[in-house]
Amino acid sequence: MAAAATSVGRRRFVGLRRVLEPVAGAHGGARIMLWSGAAITTFFIVLALIGPSISPYRFDQYQANGQRFEQLAHPSSDHVFGTTVQSTDVLSRVIWATRTELEVVFLSLIFGLLVGVPLGLISGYFSGPLDRGLVLIMDALFAFPYLLLAIVIAFLLGGQSVINAAIAITVVYIPQYFRVVRNHVISVREESYVEAARAIGAKPFTILRRYVFFNVVQNVPVIATLNAADAILTLTALGFLGYGIQPSAGAEWGYDISRAISDASSGIWWTGLFPGLAIVLLVTGLTLLGEGLNETINPVLRKRRIESPELGTPTSIVESEVGP
Amino acid sequence: MAAQGTSLKSYLLTRLALVIPMVFILLTMVFLLMRVAPGDPISASLGGRVPQAEVDKIRHRLGYDKPLIVQYREYLWDTARLDFGTTITDRRPVTEIIKVNGAATLELTIAAMFVAITVGVFFGLVAGRYRDTAADAGSRLFGIVIYAMPVFFLGYLAQLFFGSYLGILPTSDRASPLTEALLTPHTNLFLIDTLINKNWAAFWDVFRHLILPATTLGLVISGIFIRLVRVNVIRTLKDDYIEAARARGISERSVVYNHAFRNALVPVITIVGLQMALLLSGAVLTETTFNWPGIGHQLIFYLDNRDYAAVQGIIVVFALVVVFISLLIDLASAFIDPRIRY
Amino acid sequence: MNREGKWRLAALLAFVLVVVAAIGAGAARSAMTHKAAGGIIVDGTTDSVTNIDPAGNYDFGSATADALIFQHLLEAGPGGLTPHPVLATKCGFKGNLKTFSCTLRKGVKFHNGKAFTAADVVWSFDRVVRIKDPSGIYTLLSNLKSVKAKGKYGVVFNLKAPQATWPQILTTGAAQIVPKGVYPLKRVKGNTTKQIGTGPYTLSKYSPGQQAVFKKFKGYWGKPAKNDGVIIRYYTKSSTMKLALTRKDIDMAFRDFTPTELISLGKTKGIVVHKGKGATIRYLVLNLKMSPTDKLAVRKAIAYLVPRQTIANRVYHGLVKPLYSMVAAGLPGHIDAFKTVYGASPNQAKARAALVAAGISRPVNITLWYTPTHYGDSSADEFAEIQRAMQAGGLFKVTLKSAEWAQYSDALGKQYGAFQLGWFPDYVDGENYLLPFYDAKSNFTSNNYNSAKMNSLLTKEQATRVTAKRLALMRSAQTLAAKDAPIIPYWQGAMIAVSRNNVKNIPKTLDPTFIMRFWLISK
Repeated sequence: MAAAATSVGRRRFVGLRRVLEPVAGAHGGARIMLWSGAAITTFFIVLALIGPSISPYRFDQYQANGQRFEQLAHPSSDHVFGTTVQSTDVLSRVIWATRTELEVVFLSLIFGLLVGVPLGLISGYFSGPLDRGLVLIMDALFAFPYLLLAIVIAFLLGGQSVINAAIAITVVYIPQYFRVVRNHVISVREESYVEAARAIGAKPFTILRRYVFFNVVQNVPVIATLNAADAILTLTALGFLGYGIQPSAGAEWGYDISRAISDASSGIWWTGLFPGLAIVLLVTGLTLLGEGLNETINPVLRKRRIESPELGTPTSIVESEVGP
Repeated sequence: MAAQGTSLKSYLLTRLALVIPMVFILLTMVFLLMRVAPGDPISASLGGRVPQAEVDKIRHRLGYDKPLIVQYREYLWDTARLDFGTTITDRRPVTEIIKVNGAATLELTIAAMFVAITVGVFFGLVAGRYRDTAADAGSRLFGIVIYAMPVFFLGYLAQLFFGSYLGILPTSDRASPLTEALLTPHTNLFLIDTLINKNWAAFWDVFRHLILPATTLGLVISGIFIRLVRVNVIRTLKDDYIEAARARGISERSVVYNHAFRNALVPVITIVGLQMALLLSGAVLTETTFNWPGIGHQLIFYLDNRDYAAVQGIIVVFALVVVFISLLIDLASAFIDPRIRY
Repeated sequence: MNREGKWRLAALLAFVLVVVAAIGAGAARSAMTHKAAGGIIVDGTTDSVTNIDPAGNYDFGSATADALIFQHLLEAGPGGLTPHPVLATKCGFKGNLKTFSCTLRKGVKFHNGKAFTAADVVWSFDRVVRIKDPSGIYTLLSNLKSVKAKGKYGVVFNLKAPQATWPQILTTGAAQIVPKGVYPLKRVKGNTTKQIGTGPYTLSKYSPGQQAVFKKFKGYWGKPAKNDGVIIRYYTKSSTMKLALTRKDIDMAFRDFTPTELISLGKTKGIVVHKGKGATIRYLVLNLKMSPTDKLAVRKAIAYLVPRQTIANRVYHGLVKPLYSMVAAGLPGHIDAFKTVYGASPNQAKARAALVAAGISRPVNITLWYTPTHYGDSSADEFAEIQRAMQAGGLFKVTLKSAEWAQYSDALGKQYGAFQLGWFPDYVDGENYLLPFYDAKSNFTSNNYNSAKMNSLLTKEQATRVTAKRLALMRSAQTLAAKDAPIIPYWQGAMIAVSRNNVKNIPKTLDPTFIMRFWLISK
């Protein structure tokens, strides 16, 4: 961190470089995780983007050429993953659901960052009663079992649409971004170069923008990726319990599994297995990516101060982890 | 930035004082959420059988059309007196729900935590000790994949495999119908109750019913422990005093087992408290999958019925429990490590 | 490895051994407990109990439990639909259809030993009306002016308006008899307190959300139950219940499996699916004050397009039957009104003709609402089929929306233009399938249907003594209902119970009253 002081003011995108340089130099386990995670994640992103165009059928399509599909059909050449109780194709539903899942998670990431990061910056830098108030509210939110919070918010918004589901999930993760950013701001704000900037009369927002922001933001990709993994789990849990997307609006893995559960004991395994595997694969990919990033961006064991835990609610896992 | 030398007492007082506003915020959040959500308990039970005029009459009689601020005041006053009210759907006192169903969740979460710690610590130690080897990679991958698996999916697969296909384990509820019918609850923790009654057959029955749900939830949570323990082992193994011990000529084995592992496990305590919120969320899904009559299960039931009283009471208690436990954990950490106080 | 490692390994091995032993021992022991069970029937259900007190519930789960503990003056079934005396010995109208009197049975004792008298009857009815519980059970007694005791074993009901079906009302949950004094006059008795009735079982233990345990009542006045007791186990998911049934944890299950599960259970060894005559119906309510269903032509078009056979066959695998009138088939007075007016199968041509004749542009935009879990998970599949049928000819553009029951039941006709509802009867008479839907006063759907002609038909029907005349009026009402089409019925369900093959006599209790009479069952 101290090294950054000299380069600030002379190089742009300091933070960004700091993120990307170690990636190129990653080695060993970190490299494998990073690249395999990235590969899996990229695969799903591509699937979300072009999947619906290459998918054999639509997610709600129950017939083709005037012929209805068979209900609960075994996997076959016509339906590689079989069909569901509504005579829809499982493979198509899995592919289309990728888009739904990633749409919601992406939206919630954006919302979360848009709300959590600025709040964290402001709160951490300016301190005072605003800071204390925000910390209390964020800690209160954090204390809530995340799934219940998401369910209640989904209820509140009337559920159903992609936007509503995204908002429900966002609220769960805002405290994370807030806290991480705030902690880093607090530690960075005491650095000598920031003191120096203040001494020469730089305005607070300039300081925030130039010095603090990029130093702080390099941890955000890691958190965001790991949160995305978690968000998928939350979203599918919502779908499983029935509080997620309206089924006619789009396919969703969790909802498909909830419908498939009554099938499984009748020997029909394909309606639930494939959505389930999709969830596991995507979340694993995101986690690998996040962990890989974590190990590459934080390469040195920090002998410096231990992050002091926040009021009553200890810091998140990622912060207490350190790299190889 | 880490202040030194604040006394434990002043830290304790500050922490305690901060609990109150946090609880207050949570209470308000819950109240608003329940009131603003569309639908209400009257219609939920009546709707579909009775004309609208009657529904409105009943709603008025029970005070659901009183101004929001009046309802809020009454709500706060009741909570302050620890009167969490009675549910509207089936007239159960919320405190009874906490006592009976809370105990069920407690039993499940403690058992799950036991599994999570056992599995997590084992693989975490292996991964940390044999870093960058196949064992490390395997353990980490296992941890990641198991956490990526949705609890409800894993639970159902377990039910099918062990319960249906192999047929050796029960797939739902806390005990067989007859065992449960004959059980006299003291603590509502069935494992303990059956021991109090000296009923060994019942104990085995309850134990067997606990295996699948606890293992499912515990395995998923263990992913987190694997990660944490591994990191802490690595960090500890790099610490100065380990170097010093090695320099003094203490055998590597002794260094690892006596020093590193012990110290790596201390933060696990902290994490146990952290995971309460996570565990309770996972418990909701586990309880639904295994028909476990815990608090999460009840909560979903009352939530579906828009039963304000029940949901309010339950969530408030939930939040209080989490706040209280994290307070305890913080105090314990502060006691152990003076740097943490501020 | 050193001592530490060895100790750790030993602990792990010990743990594994303990687990294995537990599984093994447990398996052996549970076999024993099952043998000991003998005459106790364990029933699983996905219903739930709200309040056991009859004055405080109007839902199926509570009613099923109540049927074991409490009794009525008159009861319908098993088998026949005409109410027959149970706690009464003789009942009849006195003079006009506004006064109904009953002679009570002597020698009946409550579970607490107290004798059953007229005072208990008066008390029971009075409190239902007084308490006015939010569940709405008291609305069944809305026509009751007063109930008076005549001596120790006689009772007279004075009605506000003539009602030939009053005896049927006496068979409903609002008319269950509780002991005076033990049940408070002004409030509902809690679930955790002792429940006292005259029925063949006592409630010996109740764990909310888990199970209810019923023991045979030794002092029962009537024919003793065929088993020693009943345990009702409550499940949230039918899949868990199915596993429990196949694993022999429970002996039988009543309400509710998904159609796929039922088909699979039918093929499972050792399990029998019992189907009896049913009287539950499913229907689509159309709002007469919202576009586009305010136009008769649109409603007619929908009536021409509803794919009853597809729903019955594909979604429910033949477990339900297409329904052509709101009055359930099998009940006296039922006619297939919708079949007569609109034909048996979807007819695109006639639907189009109806829209064209009224000059309505196509496709018509319409939103259909359903509720995803309250009526079973198949609701989504049902409505997918309805949507497909309505869109197949390009006549409609259907948007499907759903809402959870709590929100849904509040909205209904207030917010929705076309929505799904189901109905199981309070009493088994065609009247109970007409009044709540078509009579402007009793209509709970809020769909704004108010036809003077229909109102007068129904008022006359209630007041008609001669059965043949009453049925004729019901038939006219059904025809009018089909022509106006404010509601479109589409299937009728059977009463289904699934059991292991060692459970006997279930078919005896499967009838349109939908009451599970556990006391007839043995194993």
